Amino acid sequence: MSSLSQPVGARRLSDWPKHLGILLLLGLELLPFYMMMQISVKTNSEFLHNPWFPSWPTGWHWQNYADGLGLMLPFVANSVVVSVSATVGCLFFALLGAYFFARYKMPFSNILWPVFLVLMMLPGVANIVTLFALLKNLQLLNTLWALIILGIAGGQVFCIYVLRNFIEDIPKDLFEAAEMDGATHFAQLVNVVIPMSGPILGTLAILQFLGSWNDFLMPLIVLRDPELFTIGVGLIYLDGEYVKDWGKMMAAFFVASVPLIIIFLFTMKLFVRGLASGALKG
Amino acid sequence: MPQPVSKRKALHEWKLYLFLVPALVLVCTFSYFPAISAIYHSFFRWSGGEAKEFIALENFTRALEDPVFWGGFLTIGILVVANLFKMIPAICLAVLIHRLRSDRWQYWYRVLVVLPMIVPGLVTLFIWKFFFNPNLGLLNSFLDASGMMPVLAFADRTLGWGGIFQEGIPTAWLGEPALIIPALIIWGFPWIGAVGVLIFLAGLQSIGTEVYEAADLDGVTAFQKFLHIELPLIMTQVRLMVVLMMIGTLQGYGLQFLLLGESGGPGGAGMVPGLWMFNRAFFAGEFGYACALGLFLFVVILGLTFINNKYIRVDK
Repeated sequence: MSSLSQPVGARRLSDWPKHLGILLLLGLELLPFYMMMQISVKTNSEFLHNPWFPSWPTGWHWQNYADGLGLMLPFVANSVVVSVSATVGCLFFALLGAYFFARYKMPFSNILWPVFLVLMMLPGVANIVTLFALLKNLQLLNTLWALIILGIAGGQVFCIYVLRNFIEDIPKDLFEAAEMDGATHFAQLVNVVIPMSGPILGTLAILQFLGSWNDFLMPLIVLRDPELFTIGVGLIYLDGEYVKDWGKMMAAFFVASVPLIIIFLFTMKLFVRGLASGALKG
Repeated sequence: MPQPVSKRKALHEWKLYLFLVPALVLVCTFSYFPAISAIYHSFFRWSGGEAKEFIALENFTRALEDPVFWGGFLTIGILVVANLFKMIPAICLAVLIHRLRSDRWQYWYRVLVVLPMIVPGLVTLFIWKFFFNPNLGLLNSFLDASGMMPVLAFADRTLGWGGIFQEGIPTAWLGEPALIIPALIIWGFPWIGAVGVLIFLAGLQSIGTEVYEAADLDGVTAFQKFLHIELPLIMTQVRLMVVLMMIGTLQGYGLQFLLLGESGGPGGAGMVPGLWMFNRAFFAGEFGYACALGLFLFVVILGLTFINNKYIRVDK
């Protein structure tokens, strides 16, 4: 029987198996998240007694969060400093670079462009070894500066690539009008480019921020002092120290996720779009 | 398009070059210099400091005969094949969401798909590490509670797996060499990557409702619709994801490092080439040798990228 001849109600009904399938898959995908949440308010003995189901809200063990917060807050603060600085710096320098390529066909720009483009293709897998020696020579080991600078440098190629294409599509008349008024190039960048590129900058910012937030290999080899640890190294450190108390661990995990949750709540649309375009980065 | 400029105008606008200086300096210092330095130092015995000794091709000949390094590629091969199958749930989910008639539901499911991203990847990994814990881990509790443990134990006895699964003895998922690769495959079940789902959904968007209605009129089954309508349309996206997955699997080692430690777990069963490079540099202090290993890895990945660009180019 064709669906066209079915009454509307029957068509609605036929979507239910799909909803069930989707919810089943998503439910399994979110299982670690659920486990983190429900274990984070249990003591160890409660967890051993009842690993799967949430305990009764009145018996929730909030002390885990006090402990988790105390453990994680310094790490989260370091991560916020690194990720925000790296993201802002990366976008600022990338905007400048992209403006150079997009505005005029300057002499040598056809030689300079491949310098960036080639890096989109070259895998940086071997660089971590020599980067360490370089940072050592620059006296940047065991500083947050190292992570910020590497974050800024690492995002340049992709951001300049995306922003160049974007700036080229801005109508020339806008720049010329600004130039008539005697605006410098920097003023044109601030008054013409930036107001028009809100969504693309937001998308790039989320990608850069996520990359920096999730990184742990570089912080691991760069940082020595626990007071400088970002969440990545901090969690590895905690994993070794506090293996016994799972509730506290899970609360610490949740604390490490809070900044991303806040960003997600405010930029859901950018998030959804940013992730899809970010995959094309490779 | 950028405006062409005359020589005189360019001279007049020389300050524009200053715009490029920071990006150029950053890229040269932190991308080009390390790469060149890696090539240079691969000819040396070097422990990261000032002292180095020229040893010509010794690092390379040693790398060519390094069983750990090349064994790692075998592990990568297994993981790549497994990752191919692990793409199926994401494709299914994308198709299911796309087939929903309500746009509002589609939107909210999309948000739910992205939701796991708010947990840092590292945290998800640690939670899985906890799932694998032999005594407290939920994987063993689940196998016990669902009655699958006796089945696995029976399979172990009859097929001679060597007593990996025994009733009453907690299975050490990350402690038993034979179970390490299965654990590396199982983690993240049901393997729905937000990025993959969103990309597949973008591909599916080009299918109009009239195609489905026509198919319904012809009495096509749901699976046939998938094979003949949806799959061909997202083939570009599937190929893209396969390429990204292969490159990612080849150069990634954070997963193995976090779950198993720097030596790839007991017996080195989870050792991959990238982790071996990392291990040699930062745990053995053999920076020169690690550079040579990194160069081999670099060439393999570059080859893959080249094949990708030449044969399966994806037009955005």
